[in-house]
Amino acid sequence: MADINGREQQQSFEIISIPPQTIPSDPTKFDLPVDSEHRAKTLKIFSFAQPHMRSFHLAWLSFFTCLISTFAAAPLVPVIRDNLNLTRSDVGNAGVASVSGSIFSRLVMGVICDLVGPRYGCAFVNLLAAPVVFSVAFVSSAEGYIAVRFMIGVSLATFVSCQYWTSIMFTSSIIGTVNAVAAGWGDMGGGVTQLLMPFLYHVIKVSGATPFTAWRIAFMIPGWLHLIVGVMVLTLGQDLPDGNLGALQKRGDVAKDKFSKVISDLVFKYAVRNYRTWVFFLVYGFSMGVQLCINNVISEYFYDRFGLTLHTAGIVAATFGMANFAARPLGGYASDMAARKFGMRGRLWVLWTVQTLGGVFCIWLGRANSLPIAILSMILFSIGAQSACGATYGIIPFVSRRSLGIISGLTGAGGNFGGGLTQLVFFSNTGFSAATGLTYMGIMTVACTIPVAFIHFPQWGSMFFPASKNGKYSEESYYSSEWNEHEKEKGLHHGSLKFAENSRSERGKRREIAAAGTPPPGFSATPVHV
Amino acid sequence: MANQGSLIALILLSCLVAICYGTVSFSSLQRTLIVTGSPQTGQVLKGGVDKITVTWSYNTSFPAGTDSSYKKVKIMLCYAPISQEERAWRKTEDHLNKDKTCQHKILTTPYKPSNNTLTWTVEKDIPTATYFIRAYVLDSHDKELTYGQTTNTEKTANLFDVLAVSGRHLSLDIASVCFSAFSVVSLFVFFFLEKRKAKSQTK
Repeated sequence: MADINGREQQQSFEIISIPPQTIPSDPTKFDLPVDSEHRAKTLKIFSFAQPHMRSFHLAWLSFFTCLISTFAAAPLVPVIRDNLNLTRSDVGNAGVASVSGSIFSRLVMGVICDLVGPRYGCAFVNLLAAPVVFSVAFVSSAEGYIAVRFMIGVSLATFVSCQYWTSIMFTSSIIGTVNAVAAGWGDMGGGVTQLLMPFLYHVIKVSGATPFTAWRIAFMIPGWLHLIVGVMVLTLGQDLPDGNLGALQKRGDVAKDKFSKVISDLVFKYAVRNYRTWVFFLVYGFSMGVQLCINNVISEYFYDRFGLTLHTAGIVAATFGMANFAARPLGGYASDMAARKFGMRGRLWVLWTVQTLGGVFCIWLGRANSLPIAILSMILFSIGAQSACGATYGIIPFVSRRSLGIISGLTGAGGNFGGGLTQLVFFSNTGFSAATGLTYMGIMTVACTIPVAFIHFPQWGSMFFPASKNGKYSEESYYSSEWNEHEKEKGLHHGSLKFAENSRSERGKRREIAAAGTPPPGFSATPVHV
Repeated sequence: MANQGSLIALILLSCLVAICYGTVSFSSLQRTLIVTGSPQTGQVLKGGVDKITVTWSYNTSFPAGTDSSYKKVKIMLCYAPISQEERAWRKTEDHLNKDKTCQHKILTTPYKPSNNTLTWTVEKDIPTATYFIRAYVLDSHDKELTYGQTTNTEKTANLFDVLAVSGRHLSLDIASVCFSAFSVVSLFVFFFLEKRKAKSQTK
């Protein structure tokens, strides 16, 4: 996801830059108030107007659909494991496969969005996921099952196209909330599928199909959802506020760029070498990763451990995923509220607190022996883990300005990696029970959230330390250090400087008042080694 | 105050009694039924097609009158140990309400000491696995009293296999291929249509 901050950055790695003088469209024709790049300044949930709100709804709906089909097998595992004669490790491996596929595809999707636009990236994934979901009709062995779940899981790349699309359509001051709402509503799909699939299976069985055929027919519905959403995205969606990418590129309004330069500059220099990227890669694996893992195991857990019916186990499991509707936006909101008073340090504390609490409730869930306690601890666990996801993406935009997209994609990939890892280590093993697996996963979550304490921003501080050298480092020096002298001479870093100025709010209330008096250091500041 | 206390005690006691009623342990059951099944050792039965014939009778070597409380017989298809490996959802537990060995009910019928026989077609939802047949004798409260089974105590003899239906259908396969083709084609159609529109706009 390249920087889309427009007019200042006109160099080659700046994929989508819109020089203002060639924009012919009239700002007053938009349904919502817009900024200078025609990005909306408000979010009107119940509107479907072109281009902003329609894109918002298409973006989160397409991600939602992919979550439905990725986890569609989970509530039906008790039937599938009998049909295909699966062992515990087969079931576990399939779960791992379902979340591993997108580790790589999420990284690739960022680049695809840069090159052909989010609309095609999104439609491409959905319309190609549909045949894979339909191919469930042919599965007759453990290997086939694992392969199909892997390929369906690749479609989770739509997380990146969803966030990318909303980032182009909405202005940066509200982008945290917009992204958290879109991601949260998309993640809800993991919960909805636990209700939808058993319901479909039951209806199809009642209509006369045998169990081993009924589950295959049930999968046709997620397949058709992909088809419908893919077509809707192509016909109703729009890449940018001013039009589609292809048309704008042909008109010369938008610069077309060289693929290789994007990869080398943004990926390797500023994303990979920033240690914070890797801390978030790990930490997100234990908020989002844990969620993905639970989506795969929780229905079967309630079915086996408490003897619930398929239908009831699905309802209980669904409450976990559906909590995303509010919990993830809540995390983003809590992060924003903490930042108002305590700045970035507040955001880091919020993240650590909710994610650790999530881990603690996961331990409690594993140890719960009665159904009511298990459900209570599961709900609290879901709120902790999901708000941690929202809180994480409240901090990510500040890690790097230049490589925001790549870091965002890497963090997302870390989520899937964590999901696959936890499923493999804790739930594919015949050595210990699922309940013990949950307890251990909770312990590992608490342990792997501790690295949040090591995230230090020189200009703002960290959980335990204030800003370095008592305010000597500024936001400008942090963000302009991502550009070399040659690029700075051309003035390419002006967008980052603008962002740096706006990010002064991350100092929190007390220091912001103190900082208001000091002038920004400007181009002569020595780059800070980050 | 005393009334409330005794009420709570009564509720607690009845709960405990109910729990007692639920947990019958398998090791406490005697094997008073003789059960024989038609499948030979290692025979493979096809789901939905092949039939099993089961006969059972009371073992008269036990003292007379032991079967006075026998009311019903529940005949089940049970997993052999080899099909329970790596599948914790089929695990054998001593407490019968937690035991998952026998998951497929063949028939429940009133108890008669002899001349019992039944023919059953292997249903289409029976998974591919190795099985034996067990019959539980129930009293009037549906509590297990005794049992009988076609195999020995170690569950190593007289086991047979079932080959399940695959669940696949030709019509489903064809529908799947058609829908998939539609999906891929529509992606490319839209792509080309839009490229053509963009080209015509710049001309």
